[in-house]
Amino acid sequence: MSPDAILPVAVLLPLGVAALLLGLAHWLPTQLPKLVAIVTALAVCGLCILLIRQSLDGPVIHWFGGWTPDASHRPDVVLGIGFQADPASAALAAFCAFLFGAAFVFAWGYFDAEHAHFHVLMLLFLAAMVGFCLTRDLFNLFVWFELMSVAAFALTAYPLGRSALEGAFHFTVTHALASFLMLAGTGLLYAGTSTLDFAAMGLIVARLGSDPVLTGGFVLVASALLTKAAILPFHLWLADAHAVAPSPVSVIFSGAMVSLGLFGLAKLVAQVFPADPHVMGLVHGLLLWLGLGTALVGGLMAYAQRHLKRMLAFSTVAHLGIMLSALAAGTGTGTAGFLLYAIGHGLVKGALFMLTGILLAQRRSADEIVLYRQGPGLWAPGLAMIAGGLLLGGLPLGLMHGATHLMHDSAALPVTLVVTVATALTGAAVLRAASRIFLGWSGAPGPELLAPTEREHEKPDRPIWLMALPPLVLLTITLTPFEAVAPVLGAAAARLSQPDAMPLPLPPMRRECPVALLLTGLLFLFAHLRRRPLTSSARALVRVERWSFGALQALHSGLIGDYVTWMIVGLAVFAAARIG
Amino acid sequence: MSLLPWFVAAWLFAVGLYGIVTSRHCVHLIGCLTVCQSATYVLLLGLGFVRGAGPPVFYDHPPGMPAVDPVVQALVLTDIVVGAAVSALLLAIAIQVQRRRCTLDPQALRPLRPSKRTAE
Repeated sequence: MSPDAILPVAVLLPLGVAALLLGLAHWLPTQLPKLVAIVTALAVCGLCILLIRQSLDGPVIHWFGGWTPDASHRPDVVLGIGFQADPASAALAAFCAFLFGAAFVFAWGYFDAEHAHFHVLMLLFLAAMVGFCLTRDLFNLFVWFELMSVAAFALTAYPLGRSALEGAFHFTVTHALASFLMLAGTGLLYAGTSTLDFAAMGLIVARLGSDPVLTGGFVLVASALLTKAAILPFHLWLADAHAVAPSPVSVIFSGAMVSLGLFGLAKLVAQVFPADPHVMGLVHGLLLWLGLGTALVGGLMAYAQRHLKRMLAFSTVAHLGIMLSALAAGTGTGTAGFLLYAIGHGLVKGALFMLTGILLAQRRSADEIVLYRQGPGLWAPGLAMIAGGLLLGGLPLGLMHGATHLMHDSAALPVTLVVTVATALTGAAVLRAASRIFLGWSGAPGPELLAPTEREHEKPDRPIWLMALPPLVLLTITLTPFEAVAPVLGAAAARLSQPDAMPLPLPPMRRECPVALLLTGLLFLFAHLRRRPLTSSARALVRVERWSFGALQALHSGLIGDYVTWMIVGLAVFAAARIG
Repeated sequence: MSLLPWFVAAWLFAVGLYGIVTSRHCVHLIGCLTVCQSATYVLLLGLGFVRGAGPPVFYDHPPGMPAVDPVVQALVLTDIVVGAAVSALLLAIAIQVQRRRCTLDPQALRPLRPSKRTAE
């Protein structure tokens, strides 16, 4: 079997298994679909790891139906649709599949009553993500984007609770709009270049130079991908959807789906537009600012939440902002940092969502104030949650630390500063919640007291060791030393733009003062030493704090009309940046 | 391509967005979303249009005759299918929302924020 035959199999396997499960679920014993789903996810992961190894020798390309660029007998005309595995795409696909495997193990026993519908939807979701990573055709990218979205909408609404339905409604409307933008952008790019193949488009863009139609197409496609990646001001849907989806689904949303949006953007910028000065100007200018703004807003909002899933959702927003700022830097080291951060963050965030799921099942709440001192008896999840908080907050160990080091290596001082503050805010928020729940330490509640929350729970009588095992495994993998992945990472970052480029030499790790971790510790201490304001000056200070966090919360109003208005504002900002 | 399709597409998209932002009923909102979607169809078909060209079907006239671009038509067809799926899903969600909340006013749908007026 030639290596390129694996490419379609990695997508067709989960699609085929999903179709079979849907057809046969009525006759199969209840346990079988769950096992099949786990095995399928791990098989896809194995196939993608095989692809990483093969693509290290050069890109693996598969043209569907044999429609290679030579088949049309005309130069410049690419009629076929191709899949291409470079090390970065294959690695992200493998990571997604692995996270699905972990989520399936975690969800064991959660969805027993329904005829494997959960597993069917999840496998569709997996197929869409792998396709999204591997495709080299813009319209095909759009189709996987849509398939990913539709599976995600249905999974969000799955519990059919009040909030789940409302969150799914908002999620669907914003993403439907995003997909229209993406389709219109695809149309414009096709009109400008007469092709949909990334490599062929890149050649034509390089020949045309700057063209308003191409810039317009890029802006539309980028806004759609930024909506998926929850970047300011397109980020409002995320907290609602991630907070209300069942926790195994939130694991995938936060861990893999949103960072794939950024990966799509990175691929587009690296393969299609490197020669377009206007687009690159937007990427290095506006996207950098949007990333930094997202990081700060996400960090502050995460710190002011009490509903654990909502807190983790905003922390995801902050980390996506950090990733976008690395991507916008445009250097090879920055791209390497972005790729590693996407995987490291996905592992940690997936683990944290699973730990919240354990609390929802065993302690019937996800509210850190309601859960105060409810932790004893769950020592392993408690330790894991503290470890997760430390890793988010800049613990100098493992993949996330390596990625931060790469990002800071090429970033300017203000960027590093904002990234450090955002990191510390998200880490301190998780640590504050973990210490309240598992250690019983607490200061007087601050702005988080006013945040939205809800009483809810998830199916309780599931085997606790099957729920605790996946987050522990994910966190252990996050501790892989940077040096172990550096060679593959260098090749991955270089070959994202040039399929035959030499591996990038990555700067070695230096021993530095862990500023982010210190800041995390300070914010954590502040949350714990807080007392009720007794003097009039303290009360005035608290009033100012309440007012400012209240204003920030009010912007995240939960109304679909506001979300769509902010999307329009985002488009206007792009237009203004292009003209200005 | 003349300017008309651009204007029609922009107008449809703007009208649809206005409808979504100001909507007071979910089904109306879903309708407005479909209007936005039609804007993309107009844009795409306009992009592929060639004046004086026939349909891209060559079984009754020889290859080489001018034809409109079949690729954008394929894109539109694919998106119509996806759009139908999304609308169906949204309407299904709307039915479930009506059952649980007895309202379909988007202004009342705020996840995780228990409303003051309607009892749980």
